[in-house]
Amino acid sequence: MRRGISVAAAAAALALAVSACGGEDTPQQSAAPAPSDPAAVSGEVTWWDTSDATNEGPVFKELKADFEAKYPKIKVNHVNVPFADAQNKFKTAAQSGSGAPDVLRADVGWVAEFASLGYLAPLDGTPALDQPEDFLPSPAGSGRYNDKTYGVPQVTDTLGLLYNKELLKKAGHDAPPKTFEELKTVAQDVKSKAGADGLALNVDAYFLLPFIYGEGGDLLDVTTKKITVASPQSVAGLKVVEDLIKSGAAAKPAIQDSYTNAETAFKEGKVAMIFNGPWSNTDNLGGKVFKDNPDNFGIAPVPAGSVKAGAPTGGHDYTVYAGSKNLDASYLFVRFMDSAESQAKIAGKLGLLPTRKSAYDMPEAQGNAMIGRWKEPMTAAVERPWIPEAGQLFQPLVEGYQKLATGGTTSDAMAQDVAKAYQGLLKGWSL
Amino acid sequence: MTTQVVDGTAAGATARGRARGPRSRGRAGGFLSRHWYAWAMCAPVVIVTLVLIGYPLVRGVYLSLTDATEANMGRTIGMNTIPSTYEFVGLSNYTAIVTSGEFLSRLAWTITWTVVCVALHYGIGLGLALLLNRPLRLRSLYRMLLVLPWAVPAFVSAFIWRYLLNGEFGVVNAMLRAAGFGGLDWLDDPFWAKVSVIAVNVWLGVPFMMLALLGGLQAIPRELYEAAEVDGATPWQRFRHITLPGLRPVSSTVVLLGTIWTFNQFPVIYLVTRGGPGGSSEILVTYAYRQAFEGIRNYSGSAAWGVLILVLLVVMAVVYRRALRRQGEAW
Amino acid sequence: MSTSDTVGTVGTAGTVDRAIPGGRRATGGRGPRSAGASLALHATLVVASLVAVFPVAWLVLTSLKPRDAWQSTTVRLFDDPSLANYAQVLGDTAFPRWLFNSLLVAALTTVLGVVLSATTGYAVSRFRFPGFRSIMWMLLVTQMFPVAILIVPIYNLLAGLGLINQFPGLVIAYLTSTVPFCAWMMKGYFDTVPVEIDEAGRVDGLTPFGTFWRLILPLSRPGLAVAAFYSFITAWAEVAYATAFMTGDDKYTLAVGIGQFVGQHKAEWGLLTASSVLIAVPAAAVFLLVQRHLVTGLTAGATKS
Repeated sequence: MRRGISVAAAAAALALAVSACGGEDTPQQSAAPAPSDPAAVSGEVTWWDTSDATNEGPVFKELKADFEAKYPKIKVNHVNVPFADAQNKFKTAAQSGSGAPDVLRADVGWVAEFASLGYLAPLDGTPALDQPEDFLPSPAGSGRYNDKTYGVPQVTDTLGLLYNKELLKKAGHDAPPKTFEELKTVAQDVKSKAGADGLALNVDAYFLLPFIYGEGGDLLDVTTKKITVASPQSVAGLKVVEDLIKSGAAAKPAIQDSYTNAETAFKEGKVAMIFNGPWSNTDNLGGKVFKDNPDNFGIAPVPAGSVKAGAPTGGHDYTVYAGSKNLDASYLFVRFMDSAESQAKIAGKLGLLPTRKSAYDMPEAQGNAMIGRWKEPMTAAVERPWIPEAGQLFQPLVEGYQKLATGGTTSDAMAQDVAKAYQGLLKGWSL
Repeated sequence: MTTQVVDGTAAGATARGRARGPRSRGRAGGFLSRHWYAWAMCAPVVIVTLVLIGYPLVRGVYLSLTDATEANMGRTIGMNTIPSTYEFVGLSNYTAIVTSGEFLSRLAWTITWTVVCVALHYGIGLGLALLLNRPLRLRSLYRMLLVLPWAVPAFVSAFIWRYLLNGEFGVVNAMLRAAGFGGLDWLDDPFWAKVSVIAVNVWLGVPFMMLALLGGLQAIPRELYEAAEVDGATPWQRFRHITLPGLRPVSSTVVLLGTIWTFNQFPVIYLVTRGGPGGSSEILVTYAYRQAFEGIRNYSGSAAWGVLILVLLVVMAVVYRRALRRQGEAW
Repeated sequence: MSTSDTVGTVGTAGTVDRAIPGGRRATGGRGPRSAGASLALHATLVVASLVAVFPVAWLVLTSLKPRDAWQSTTVRLFDDPSLANYAQVLGDTAFPRWLFNSLLVAALTTVLGVVLSATTGYAVSRFRFPGFRSIMWMLLVTQMFPVAILIVPIYNLLAGLGLINQFPGLVIAYLTSTVPFCAWMMKGYFDTVPVEIDEAGRVDGLTPFGTFWRLILPLSRPGLAVAAFYSFITAWAEVAYATAFMTGDDKYTLAVGIGQFVGQHKAEWGLLTASSVLIAVPAAAVFLLVQRHLVTGLTAGATKS
């Protein structure tokens, strides 16, 4: 008794109490959702909206009000959930069966994971999947898992090369660089002739992909289940980045707040070129060198490597929680929110790219000049591996990129480390 | 009654430090009625803790011996049913963690981080508490200002510090440059990133230490100091023989709990450097969190990490308690 | 042993600077400080205060700048200062609602937390009863399991009790992290209160609980103040539990609510800093409230009861 009751003993005592109430629920089969008449559907739909609450939220709120006007029997509970919290928050709620929303705006990279875990309702044959042939193929692919549709694409995006036209002109270049070699030359010219940095890199896995794609590499080959991040093509892409940093063509990249630092420098005219997506339009146009001179803001596809020009497909999908008590109302809500008209409205007001071909031709969308300007960069969008493990692929890559950017490793060693980490994540995949 | 109590204080003051063993109290009234009171006073806390922490803890120990993940723990959500397919795997989660190359280097940095942070918290906190415990003009103002870091929510402070320490447009580097030094890569260099997270955590943690110790100093009867001064003790002797022993009950608690707290200090690391650059400032908890919660959640792995961290801390607490015992403190 | 000079000073505002009366010490033989020592003392405190205040001051300055001005490569103290950010936070967002929710949760956590931790702390400080050590260990071990790993099981537990998206659920979760810490801390403070006071109480015919309530608690005000402030701040600024457990935005607390100013790609720093300042104000007010209890002389407290 000298030591009192030990932790182990206390734990053992607890175990007895817990075993009575613990354990898993027994698996059950349940019926498929029954189709019904849209006008008769009633209920309450909770929607977790992960868009930027300050700048984008109001437009989505308007759409929600339009929906409620059209379907007065359905009440929509619009909840703004910060993007950074949403993935974990949804998973925690979804697995417990209590507290999860009916509809979630999910990043394209989350859908396969959520679907594989049984959190999402298949949308095939429901009102939610409306005119699927109208969707652009690449964003639509993000919503499919195991030959079923679990998400319909809301918006899409990709990375482009954003440039400061005046700085490039000062350096003697009228057109943006089309290849990685040109990128280096232009950047060095800007540095020597225009008194600004040529290129600011964002040390983030997502922003590394255009270099890997450009040389014909990829993180994975999904069809053959191969890890290709250390393939010669992928390594060639990493070498391009390494060379840009070492040669000084790219400014010394910040590691923390890399995105913000690159943006800030670009907006103030301290750097001529960055990689970024359509979401940054408004931010950039508010910058010092673009505010009074929006024509100075250039958008081009990402430069090509020796194989192609390629940038990752991003964006968001609407998904429906499998445990929703209001499935029918949720399907109708998704259908309304993802109609070509709604997409055109979002595009017109926020400059976000529609995923429906027909939406691009609608006057509301065309009213926003940015939609047309991103059309060409979008042609370079490459589908990402839509696999359940997709969410885990970026962390090893970003750690490697950080080491590469600070000179702590080489392209080859980095690729090997990342590949090794992927082997741990992906069971049954070969190198 | 008043006089009685006050006399008691004086008596207690002299008695303190040596004759305050728990046994004397226990013996004074060792009957059932007394236990009844004690148990009643503890019951609400014990019950809530056992339910809310005890259950997850026990379940965690169990899960850590399986290969359970988010993908193989059975559940039914609406039309989807996932069968339960996880199995008992013995200690393999633990061996996988302990034999991984990262574990020892993460542990070493976590220990460094904890020791440096707690030492600075305590040292600076005690220093400031001693200064504030003197008769002094503007004392309330100083105390207010010094506590300010605690009043700002930690996640806001972490963001503010990240902003201040930004290599390019951070204020700290702007001041360094203005003073003629070059700027430093506060958050982008592995070494400076570690210095930065320690600095931020010290900034955040000192006010609490200071207040706790100030409370402790206030509780030391002034009569002891007066008596010591009459006896001609030097300030150092008074500090050494009255202040430090008088603070010991409070100190031993705040140091022990501060250590546990710092060891598991998730938000500061996560918000200031996100564990970077290249994972160099990652402590065990943030590393465990990434390993277990990024992508498909690895419930068994996270539980094994949790238990392992708990075991490390229990060992630390046992050692600490032994050391305190040798000095006459016991619990 | 004088009792007269402290009678009546307790509990009045302005006790703070009188409770440790310089006069009393001076009578003990210590002369006034030399000018040099005084200067060094103030210099140290001024430097420490500056370090403590600077980041907070920068927060305030940033909140007064235009919404996007924080993002600038040139560092400026002022930049077109205005209260626009505050107006937007208070007028166009659900900030008042979050503020109310936070106050409610923090107040409940503080009151319940202090009561529970004081009783527990007193019990383990004064009584040696069967189970005493295991309670001490339990309170300690509770602190050791990383919160990040506890979120999912606690969520499931609260979901089973129907407490998800309910304030009581959040308060209970907070109590599990504040009470063990505070109970340990309170035990430390109670240990410094001479056990003879308990005995005196017993001689006067008080029950153990009466002794605790009428004699010991008033003597432990500095400890109670620290525990109260600790509980309040923990509940006030906690993010992880609140983010996971509060699923509807009408139940968001401040820490969760202002996360809305951080978008996927862009953070609204103007709004974020303005709301941070607004968040810090009640916390500072609470500190002002409790801080006069931080300094309560032992004998002074005793004479009151």
